Amino acid sequence: MAGTVIGEGLTIEGEVTSEEEVVVHGTVRGTLKSSDVVSVGPGAVVEADVDAASLSVAGNVTGNVNAGERVDLQAGGRLIGDVKASRLTIADGASFKGNVDMDV
Amino acid sequence: MGGSVIGSDTVVRGNVRGSGPLEILGRVEGDVTVEGDVLLGDGAAVRGNVSGAQLTVSGAVQGDLHGSEAVLVQNGARVVGEIVAPRIGIADGGLVRGNVRTEGEPQLAPVARRPAFGARPFGSSFGAARAVAPAPRVTEHRPIEPRAVEARPSEPKSRPEGDPAAKSSPEPPPPVVPALPKGAKGKKKNRS
Repeated sequence: MAGTVIGEGLTIEGEVTSEEEVVVHGTVRGTLKSSDVVSVGPGAVVEADVDAASLSVAGNVTGNVNAGERVDLQAGGRLIGDVKASRLTIADGASFKGNVDMDV
Repeated sequence: MGGSVIGSDTVVRGNVRGSGPLEILGRVEGDVTVEGDVLLGDGAAVRGNVSGAQLTVSGAVQGDLHGSEAVLVQNGARVVGEIVAPRIGIADGGLVRGNVRTEGEPQLAPVARRPAFGARPFGSSFGAARAVAPAPRVTEHRPIEPRAVEARPSEPKSRPEGDPAAKSSPEPPPPVVPALPKGAKGKKKNRS
């Protein structure tokens, strides 16, 4: 079971800082930081800068993303913002607008 | 789906709102407003107001707790702030500093309530203490004490001591305050 789950119907406005896995099915506005995995489920809305070890997006993310390991944008996911990560995958059917920096 | 958890290694600075149930095991600095139940677990720390349907507190709260159904303060909880709900339970070992009010319409059948948070029996430690604070409206149903409407309009309330009529009256004599010997007051003061 994930450490932190922001369920469907829940909204957090402000700063979320975590040292465990964060799963978002609801809404986060502000900043979202985790030293572990952040998953944005389908239907979730994240209007925040995301700083995580890795990020998986199946929902909507608007904001800049900084991931230590990887970013996976899944089919149906939508990401608007700049991505800084050493690995990035974009699945067929995902939407993305922004710059990518993969430390090359 | 829909249940939310703020884990023990998670800090939220800002407001949390929406539909519950919500389980807080970490730290929240801001107001929490949900429509469902809220559990503030062991080790949780909230600085801000919390409102929900049924609030079960085992952690620390600095702020007001408003429950539309109930607020249950468990053993080991620390609450500094106001508690307002139709049903309020404070278990043995729960620490509260602040105004506490049972207010609003209580649920008619608290026994038939859905189990909060799946099958986890938190709150089972409450037992009989669950209903310690019934709503104040219970007093309406109490019969009026008969001696409050004693029909003695002709007799004066206080009569001078030694009046012969007072002795024959069925009324008990007025309480006698024993005259303390001189110095007794001073002695008592010194002891305390």
